[in-house]
Amino acid sequence: MTEKSLSVRLRNFALVLGSALAFVYIFLPLLTTSCGILNRMSVYLDNNGIDPTRYYYTDVAQVKEGEDYLRFALEEK
Amino acid sequence: MAQESNVVIDHGKSQWSDLWKKEDFLAIWLGFIIIAVCILAYTSYGPKAEFAEKIAAANQIQEAELAKAPFKTIAWHKAQDAKSKLKGSSSSFGKFASHWTKTPGSWKTNPLDSLIRSEAQAKALNEKGMAKYEEAKAKLETALAAAMSAEEAAAGASFQDQGLNDEATAKISEWRAANKAAGDAKKKVENKAYNYIPTLIGLCIFIALIFGAGIALMGKSAPAFLQGFIIVFLVAVLAYILGGQAISKQYGFGAEAWGVLLGMVIANTVGTPKWVLPACEVEFFIKTGLVLLGAEVLFNKIVAIGTPGIFVAWVVTPVVLVCTYIFGQTVLKMPSKTLNIVISADMSVCGTSAAIATAAACRAKKEELTLSIGLSLVFTAIMMIAMPAFIKAVGIPEILGGAWMGGTIDSTGAVAAAGAFLGQKAMYVAATIKMIQNVMIGVTAFCVAVYWVTKVEATDAGHTVGVGEIWHRFPKFVLGFIAASIIFSILDQNMGKDLGGAIVDQGIVRGGTRLLRGWFFALSFAAIGLSTNFRELAKYFKGGKPLILYVCGQSLNLVLTLAMAYIMFYVVFPEITAKI
Repeated sequence: MTEKSLSVRLRNFALVLGSALAFVYIFLPLLTTSCGILNRMSVYLDNNGIDPTRYYYTDVAQVKEGEDYLRFALEEK
Repeated sequence: MAQESNVVIDHGKSQWSDLWKKEDFLAIWLGFIIIAVCILAYTSYGPKAEFAEKIAAANQIQEAELAKAPFKTIAWHKAQDAKSKLKGSSSSFGKFASHWTKTPGSWKTNPLDSLIRSEAQAKALNEKGMAKYEEAKAKLETALAAAMSAEEAAAGASFQDQGLNDEATAKISEWRAANKAAGDAKKKVENKAYNYIPTLIGLCIFIALIFGAGIALMGKSAPAFLQGFIIVFLVAVLAYILGGQAISKQYGFGAEAWGVLLGMVIANTVGTPKWVLPACEVEFFIKTGLVLLGAEVLFNKIVAIGTPGIFVAWVVTPVVLVCTYIFGQTVLKMPSKTLNIVISADMSVCGTSAAIATAAACRAKKEELTLSIGLSLVFTAIMMIAMPAFIKAVGIPEILGGAWMGGTIDSTGAVAAAGAFLGQKAMYVAATIKMIQNVMIGVTAFCVAVYWVTKVEATDAGHTVGVGEIWHRFPKFVLGFIAASIIFSILDQNMGKDLGGAIVDQGIVRGGTRLLRGWFFALSFAAIGLSTNFRELAKYFKGGKPLILYVCGQSLNLVLTLAMAYIMFYVVFPEITAKI
């Protein structure tokens, strides 16, 4: 199998990366602004500083808030 | 995971020299050196003694207030706020660690905003939020005045008048809500100028050196590693930038996803340069990251919401994991057991972190980890939006809905987001349930490692394996992971809730180990992408079995979690639910 030339590889790189970037930075924002619930979600997340990409509890400030709230709520007699 | 496409089982004997030559042990030593530095910095040389004094003083105030009134007074809350402000990460070591491990920040339209912010930009952002902050401050002052007045009235009746006590409690709750709103508004006016480029360069050098030393001890070429590491680090930085965009974050496409994607695009189009491949030390990065993650697996967290939380997070989860794995083996006949267990753990436990730990424990291939995380990301984005909408539409109570989402949506950030859309209490319950599930990672990794070495690999080999061989095959880094978890659980427990929170949670972990852990995982995902052949990855999609496995497993998870949450929160322990 012949190896592709540099120009072909660069073209493929640009196409694939461009498609991925277009999906995330063009399509998804358009989808978000055109759909009420998604738009509200976007505004809400921005206002409250919640980051859905964080995967462990120590990365998410709201977990500490929740832990403290529940600790005091459950300590009530 | 295996470095090569095929898993290589080493039939050699264990030797003492493994302790300073083998990757697993080097990951443990590196991880523990970082942990030891952080523990010393925050305990012996840090603010521990000062914090202990301040906490004791605040506790005295709180005890006096609780003895005085049948509700939590303003003074009680102010003492609590004073304790909450105590953070080990605000010490000089904490600021140093945070400064030098900064990741590119968030941005909306200009990616350069993630690296550089000028004074003028910071000032403009602060001015934008000032009006809201002033309004929130004014509301806070009003709410505080009303709360003080109501409390004085209740005190005037020696706290014997229930009506006045209830009024004071209500006004104090309103003051707390206004306090939180003012705190959130204040964050929008505290923007500072920054330039992360120098610190990123410094961090690159630091990480290159510490891993380079490990590479040299393993007998590999440190110069070759150092040369290629610059590209791996650059891809990780680009991944952080791409994942920091607001919309990308909203749908869960963070640095890890972008690292794999960007790396794979490079590898499968222009091609990863051969001199970069020696730096794609996926396993070394992941194992060291996992040892650091062990410091965040605190077993005392599992009682955070009482017995209901334990049942929802620690009973349902292993049932779903085992059932899904058995389903995958017996019904779907998944060709790869490692892919099966990684998807099962990813879906049932807590997403990406569980997938990483399980994949490393059973030596799954990097393509299997990539596929598993890819599936998780897609379904997390869908569930984060669909679940709160469904819960509201059918009228499921907030606490039940929160517990359901906490036990089923994979990533903690998405759980917090989904819970917040439903309501504050739902968010608190959801996030806490997910935290309890996160703690299960340690047990999962250990059990999978033991099962794999004693049963799966032995069955595949066609003979029973002796203790020596079990020890030789056992992924040793799991021991470092568990040891870190046990040490930190004991440390946190011994210090008590307040001091443990300030020194362990907000100091050693959030101001130390977690900062590097995040980078090590980001580097590992960039390295995975740069060394992944897309055709190899596509092979695992064949027949759609991974997708079917995930969907079936998640369906079981949804049903069982809802049922268990209902039973625990509304049938067996309704008094706990009433308090929340």
